[in-house]
Amino acid sequence: MKLFRRLILRPLRRDLTRTVLTLFSIALGVAVVIAIELSGDAATGSFESSLTTLVGKVDYEITANGGVDETYIGKLAALPVNARFSPVIEEPVVIVGHGSTTLYGIDLISSAGASTDSQSFDPEQFEHYAAVSNDLAERLHLKKGDALRLKGRSQSADFTIRTIAPDRNNEWIGVDIAAAQSLFDMNGRLDRIEVVLSPGENAGNVERLIKATVPSTWDVLTPGARSEENRRMLRAFRWNLRILSYISLLVGAFLIYNTIAVSVVRRRTEIGILRALGVNSRGVLLIFLGEASMLGVIGSALGVVIGRLLAAALLGMISDTVNALFTTSTPGPISLSPLSVLAALLTGTAVAFFSALIPAREAARVAPAEAMRRAIVEYETRLHVRRDLLMAAVVAAIAAVLCRFGPIDGRPVLGYAATLFAVAATALVAPAFVTGIVFVLRTTLKRIGGAAGLIAGRSLVASLSRTSIVVTALATAISMMISVGIMVGSFRETVQVWLDAQLRADIFMRAQGPATAGIYPPIAPNVPDIVRQTPGVAEVDTLRAFEFRYEGTRATFAAANMDIVRRRRFLKFVSGTFPAAPDTAMVTEPFADKHHLRTGDVMHIPLSGSTAALTVSGIYYDYSSDRGTVLVDRSTLLRYLPDQPVTNIAVYVQPGADAAKVRRDLEMRLRDFPLVIAPNEVLRRAAVEVFDRTFTVTYALEAVAIVVAMLGAANSLLALVLDRRREIGLIRYLGAATGQVRRMILMEAGLLGLLAGSLGSALGMALSLVLIYVVNKQSFGWTIQFHPPALLLAGALLLVWAVTVLAGVYPARFASRLQPGEAMHEE
Amino acid sequence: MSAISIREVTKVYEGGVEALRGVSLECASGHVTALIGRSGCGKTTLLNLCGAMDFPTTGEVSLAGQVTSRLDDAGLTHLRRNKIGFVFQFFQLLPSLSALENVELPLLLSGRKNTEATARERLRWVGLEDKTRSLPYQLSGGQMQRVAIARALVHDPAILIADEPTGNLDNASGDVILKLIRRAADELGAAVLIATHSAEAAAVADVRVRMGDGRIEKVER
Repeated sequence: MKLFRRLILRPLRRDLTRTVLTLFSIALGVAVVIAIELSGDAATGSFESSLTTLVGKVDYEITANGGVDETYIGKLAALPVNARFSPVIEEPVVIVGHGSTTLYGIDLISSAGASTDSQSFDPEQFEHYAAVSNDLAERLHLKKGDALRLKGRSQSADFTIRTIAPDRNNEWIGVDIAAAQSLFDMNGRLDRIEVVLSPGENAGNVERLIKATVPSTWDVLTPGARSEENRRMLRAFRWNLRILSYISLLVGAFLIYNTIAVSVVRRRTEIGILRALGVNSRGVLLIFLGEASMLGVIGSALGVVIGRLLAAALLGMISDTVNALFTTSTPGPISLSPLSVLAALLTGTAVAFFSALIPAREAARVAPAEAMRRAIVEYETRLHVRRDLLMAAVVAAIAAVLCRFGPIDGRPVLGYAATLFAVAATALVAPAFVTGIVFVLRTTLKRIGGAAGLIAGRSLVASLSRTSIVVTALATAISMMISVGIMVGSFRETVQVWLDAQLRADIFMRAQGPATAGIYPPIAPNVPDIVRQTPGVAEVDTLRAFEFRYEGTRATFAAANMDIVRRRRFLKFVSGTFPAAPDTAMVTEPFADKHHLRTGDVMHIPLSGSTAALTVSGIYYDYSSDRGTVLVDRSTLLRYLPDQPVTNIAVYVQPGADAAKVRRDLEMRLRDFPLVIAPNEVLRRAAVEVFDRTFTVTYALEAVAIVVAMLGAANSLLALVLDRRREIGLIRYLGAATGQVRRMILMEAGLLGLLAGSLGSALGMALSLVLIYVVNKQSFGWTIQFHPPALLLAGALLLVWAVTVLAGVYPARFASRLQPGEAMHEE
Repeated sequence: MSAISIREVTKVYEGGVEALRGVSLECASGHVTALIGRSGCGKTTLLNLCGAMDFPTTGEVSLAGQVTSRLDDAGLTHLRRNKIGFVFQFFQLLPSLSALENVELPLLLSGRKNTEATARERLRWVGLEDKTRSLPYQLSGGQMQRVAIARALVHDPAILIADEPTGNLDNASGDVILKLIRRAADELGAAVLIATHSAEAAAVADVRVRMGDGRIEKVER
C-alpha cells in the first residue's frame, strides 16, 4: 500500500493537470454510455397502459387489425371464467379551446368499482361523465364539476368532470364507451377489449377460452408482450445510439493507454531501481494496472454522476424521435439502479484496465539492470512500421469481408464489428502515416516555422508510439464525426429528394391529434366531399391509414386511390410497380426487408374477421417510418373492412389556381371540423424538422467524442512536453525565445490535428459506407443515396483542427515557462 | 576588453545555499579558461552565469559587453542566441534531427539566412562533412561531440561555454575535442570557458582557475 501511494498516487498528484484530464476523459466516455442507456430505458419503458388507473391491472388485450366487433363482448362475458372484459376505444380527441389529448372510451358502469373515485354514478348521466388524468387537469386547471366540450370525428359532446385520476406523466380523458363510439362514429366497433382476471383465476385457461371464442385472426396479447414488441421495434434505434456512445469510451480507452504509456516512460528509472531492489515483473505490472484501475474507478464514478445529468437532457430528444418514428409512448422516469451504477463502474474500470495492459506489460518486461529507455520503444515502433502496415491490410480486408454478411438476429452485428476492425486497421496504419506525412511536409514545416517547424515535425516522429496513439484516438473521434455526418447528410438529401417525389399535392389535411407514429385520427366522412366542391380544387386523394400487426410486428396499413397515386406521385420502386389488380399491394422497402418479401410474394394479413391474401405488386422507396407500410387501393381495403374513415387528404389545385387562396377557402368551409390543414411547404418543412430532431442526439454524442479526444490531445501534448523537458531546456540554451518554444508546441498541436484530420477523414469515408450500406440498411431497411455534405464537413474539420491547436495552448504555455537550467539538470 | 567579466559575484539559491562567494574573473577573447574543482564547488553555477542562464545575487556579470542583470528574459535569450555557444558533457543533440539540422538549429532560432550552407561549412570545420545526414544514434560519441561543437560555434559566438566536454569520451576522442576547442579560441577568437575534472583538458587552457567552496582558490596562467 505504501509502495502504491509512493509510486502511483504521488506521481499522479505531481501531474495533477494530466491526471484530471485523464479522469475527465474516462468520466465523459462512461457518462455518455450511461446517459444513452438511462434515457433509452426511460423513453421506451413506459408502455404500460394508462387504463390501469381506470380499469385496474390488465391481464390480456384482445385486438384485431382494423378494430374488433363489439358483439364479442357479450360472447366473452358469457364464458365460464372469473374475468372482466372491458371494451376500449383509444383515439385522439379535441378538447374545444384546449387542443388535443388521448381519449379512452371504456365501460364506465362496470369500471366504476375499479375507479379511483368510486362515488356513485347517476345512471342517467354517466354518458356525460368524464375522468381526467391528474397531469391534464393540472395543465388545463381543471377540477371536478368543470364542463368540457369534446370534438371527435364529426360529432361534439359536452361532459362533466367527475374524477381526477392520479396518473404519472400521462394526459388523457376517459369517457363512457357509448359516448366515445358516438364521438368517433364507431357504433358497434371497438379498438380493443381488455381483460382483467379475478384473483386466483387460471390465466392459461382464460386465454384458451378467449382464443376459442374470438376469430382466429384476432390477437390475444399480454400487456407485457406489447411492451416487449415496442422494445423490439426500438431495438435497432437503441443499438445504433448505444454503439455511437461506445465510440467515446473507445476514444477514452486510447487515452488511458496513452496515459499509462507516459507513466511507464516517465518512471523508467524508478522501474529499473525497483526491479534492482527485488520487485518482480508481476509487481511492476500490478503497480501500473493498479494506477489504471484507480483512474478507471474514479473516472467511472464521476461518469455516473455526469451520465445521470446528461440522461435528463437527452430524454426529451430521444422521446421525440421514438414518438415521431416508431411508436407512441410517454417517457417514464429515469431510474439509476444500483445495478446500472455497478455496471458503469465495472465497464469504465475494465476499459481502463485492459487499455493499460500493453504499456503495463512493457513496464514489467524491463530488466533489473536496465532502466527502460524511451528510445527502445520508439525504435521498435519504427522497426515495426512495415509489419504493422501488412497487418493493417489484413485487418481492413477482414472488415470488408464482414460487411458482406447479413444481420444476426435483426442486428447488423458484423457491420459493427467491421467498424471496429476498420478502427484497428487505422491504429496499425497510424505510425507509417505519421512518419510519411511528416517526411513529405518536412521542408514546408521548416520554411513556415523555422526551427519551431523543424523540431515540431521531428518530435512527433521521435515520439512515434505516443503520437500514433493520440492521432488514432483523435482520428477515431473525427472519423465518427465524418462518417455520421456523411450518413446523415446523405440520408437528409435522400429524404429531400423523396419528399419532392412524395409530397406532390398542394394542400394536406389530417384530423387534429398527436402527429406520432401509429396514430391516425379519422376525419369526418363528409369532409372529402366538401373539399371536392371547393372552387380551385382539381383532385382529392383520400388515404385511410391504421396500425396493424403482421408477423408479430406493427406497421401501417394504408389505402389510397391508386389511380391518383400513380398519376400524381412520382414514387420510385426498388422492384415491381403499382398494384393494378384486386388483392395486390405495394409495400415499402423497410417492410419488405423486415419480412423478407419480394415482388410476387403473397402476404396473409388478418383484417378484422378475415384474412386478406395480398400479392406484392411492388416494393417502393419510403423514408417516413421504419415500421413499414402496406399500401393498397381503397377498393381492396373496403372488401375486407367496409365503412372505413379517411385519415388523410391530399388536395391538388387546378393549374393556375392560387393554392393559398384555396387553402383559406378550405379553412373557412371546414372551420367546424377539427382538422390540421397545411400547405405543401409547411408539411415538407415539418418532415425535415422531424428528421433533424432525430439526429440531434447523434450530434450530441459526436460532440462528446470530439471533446474526449480534445482532452486527450491536450493531455498527450502535455505528456510530450513533460517528457521533453531536457530537449526544451536545450533549445532554450541554444537561444530559443519563450515565444519560439510556445510556437513549436502549438505547431505540434496543429500537426497532430492535421494528421488526425486527414487519417480521420479517410477512416470516416470508409465508415460512412459501412453505416449507409450495411448498418443502416440492416437496421432500418432504408436505401440511402451517397451524398456527402462536403462543405459542412470541411467546416467541421477546420473547427476540430482549430480546437486541437487550442488544446495545445496550455502545454505550450507550460513548456515556455520551463526554466532551461532546471530542465537540463532535472534528469 | 574581456568577453567575460565577472566582478564580486555571489549567488545564493532559495533555501540559503551559497554557491558563489565574491568571485571575480576575466576571460579574454581568443583565450581558453579552465575551471577546475570538485563537485559542488560552484563550477556549474559560474558556467550558468557566464552562459546567461541565470542572474547573480550580487555583483556584476558582463558578457560580450552586456551586463546581464540589466537584461530581462528576452534580452538574455538574445544574448545567448547571438553571442554564446554551449557544449555539454552528454552532447545534447536532438535525436530526431540529423547532424546538419542540429548544427543549423541556432541559426534558424535567430532567423538568419543561408542557414544550411553555414551549418555545412561548420561541419566541415569539425571534419564531419560526410556525416551531414546522419542521425545522432548513427554517430560515435566523439562524432556527436564534434557535431555539438559545430552547433555551438555555427553562429560565431564571442563566448564558448563547455561543461565537461570530454567527460563522456575515450582519450582519443577527447583529444580531438580539446584540439577543436583550442582552435575555437585561436581561429575564431572566442573566449572559451571550460569546466573540467580532466588534467588533459586543463592542459590546453591558457588560464586555469581552481575553485573550492564557492570561491576562486587559485589562478594559474
